[in-house]
Amino acid sequence: MKKLFNSAETMVDDMLDGFVSAYPQVTRAETDPRVIIRQRNVKNPDEKVTLLIGNGSGHEPIAMGFVGQGMLDTNVVGDVFAAPSADLILDGITAVSGAAGSILLISQHSGDMINGRAATMMAQDEGINVLALPMYDDISAAPPTRKKDRRGAPGTMFIYKILGAAAEEGKSQVELFELGEAVRDRIVTLAAAVSPGVSPLTGLPMFSLPEDEIFLGMGVHGEPGVGRVKVGPVNELVDLMVDKLLVDRPIPKGGRACVIINGMGGTTMMELLTIWAETETKLARHGIRAISPMIGSYVTTQEMGGFSISLMEPTDDMLNYWCAPSDTPAFPQINYTKMEQTS
Amino acid sequence: MSADRFFTALHRKFTNNLAHLNALDAAVGDGDHGSTMVRGLAKAVAADEGKRAKAFMRASGGASGTLFGLILIAIETYLDSAADLTSGLATACDRICDLGEVKVGDKSMIDALAPAVTAMKSGDLAAAISAARAGRDSTQPLVARRGRAQYVEQGGKGHIDPGAVSVVIFLETLGELD
Repeated sequence: MKKLFNSAETMVDDMLDGFVSAYPQVTRAETDPRVIIRQRNVKNPDEKVTLLIGNGSGHEPIAMGFVGQGMLDTNVVGDVFAAPSADLILDGITAVSGAAGSILLISQHSGDMINGRAATMMAQDEGINVLALPMYDDISAAPPTRKKDRRGAPGTMFIYKILGAAAEEGKSQVELFELGEAVRDRIVTLAAAVSPGVSPLTGLPMFSLPEDEIFLGMGVHGEPGVGRVKVGPVNELVDLMVDKLLVDRPIPKGGRACVIINGMGGTTMMELLTIWAETETKLARHGIRAISPMIGSYVTTQEMGGFSISLMEPTDDMLNYWCAPSDTPAFPQINYTKMEQTS
Repeated sequence: MSADRFFTALHRKFTNNLAHLNALDAAVGDGDHGSTMVRGLAKAVAADEGKRAKAFMRASGGASGTLFGLILIAIETYLDSAADLTSGLATACDRICDLGEVKVGDKSMIDALAPAVTAMKSGDLAAAISAARAGRDSTQPLVARRGRAQYVEQGGKGHIDPGAVSVVIFLETLGELD
C-alpha cells in the first residue's frame, strides 16, 4: 500500500506542523510540542473548567480537531495508535489548568486508562485539581451488565461536545463530571468494518476479510470484531445494527435519539448519507425520532472502510448543548431539530 | 546525594543486562523489556535534574513505561529532595496495583515491590532488597493474570517475571550508592 509520509519517526510531528499552521483556533503549548491548545477566545482557567483529551495519532480529525471555543481546551497527542505517556499528559494538564479545575476525558482503552489516570494522580500530587472521566460506549466490547468494561468508540463525541458547551457556559467541575457520567449512560455505539485500514508504521493491512463478509463490532485500532455478517443491501445491515443498539439500551416509543454516523476513513459521504437515511427510517419504525445527526468521518483508522452508528437519548439540556455553536477546526455545526411534544 | 548518580548506575546496569532481560521477556511477552528499559534510562541520564523519571516515562512509552516510571519518580524524589523513600515506594506500589489492576501473586513487578515495601517499613533498604529478591524468585511457578504474559502458553509458568527482575535491579542499584 502506498502511503504518503516522510518517515515513521517524524510523521506525527509533521502532521502537527500542518495542523497548527492551517487552523487559527489552535496552537502548540509552550510546555510541549505534542500538546495542542486552544488559541482563540481563551477563558480564564481560574473561572472556566478546562477539558482535555489525550489519545494516539492516526484517528484524525479527532480529537485535536475538536480543540477550540465551546469544546476542548487541550489535546495531548501520542504516537500512531499509541497512548501518550503519563508525563506528556501531565504537561497538557499543567498547560491549561487553573483554580476552576480540569477534567481529563479518557476514551477507555487499557494504555490510555493507565497513562491518563497516572497523569491525573501526578497532577494531583502537584496540587492541580483534575478529575479523570472514563468514556465507554461500544456495545460489542462487553454485555450491558459489564458496561464499565466497554471501549470508547465514536459515541464519545457526544461527551466532548456536550461538556464543552456546558463548560463554556460556566458550569462547575463537579456539575460537569456528573453531566459527563449522565451523557455516558445514554450512549450506545456499534461499528461495522468492510475493509482493513493500513498501518502507516508497517504499510500492512490490519486484518483480512473475505470479499463477501463484514466485521461487526470492529475496534478503532483494527481490533477484531465480535461477529461476521454476509454482505447484502445496506438497509439489512443497518436494521441489524439498530436492533442490537436498542436491545442494549432501549428508547421508549415516542422518544428521541441523537445520531452519529461515523466513517472510518475509507467510506464515502455517499455511503454515510445512505446509512443515515436507513438509520432514520429504522428508528421511525420503532417509534423513535432521529434528530440532530452528525454525519462524516471523525474517528478514523487511516483508510479503513466501515462506519459506526451511535445513539444518544438526550435530555432537553443535553440536546441544547449538542446543538450549541462551537468554533473548532473539525467539529461540524449540528442542526438543531425543533423538539416536538413527544409524550 | 543527587539522582544523577543513581540513573547513571541504573543505565549501566540495565545495559549490561539487556540481553538477559529481553530473553526473560521473550518467554512471557514480546521480548523487548530490556531494550525498553535501556531506551528510557538513556533519556533519563540525559535529562535535567528533577525530570529524569519523567524523561524515562516518555521515552520508554506504553503502559509499562508509566508504571516503572512511578517507582523511579519515588526514588528520584527521595534522592533529590530527601523525601521519605518508604512512603514514596508505598504510594507507587498502591498506584501500580490500582492502575494495572494487579495484586501480589499475579506474576508482575508487584511480586517484588510489595514485599520490599513491607520489609522497608519494619527494616531498612537491605531488608527490602532481600524481600524483593525472594518475591522475584516466587514469580517462577506463577501463572500471569495481567499483561501480555497472560496470553502465552500456561501464562508463563516456569519463567521469572522480567518486571520483578527490574524492580530488584532498581533497589540493588540504590543500595550500592551509599
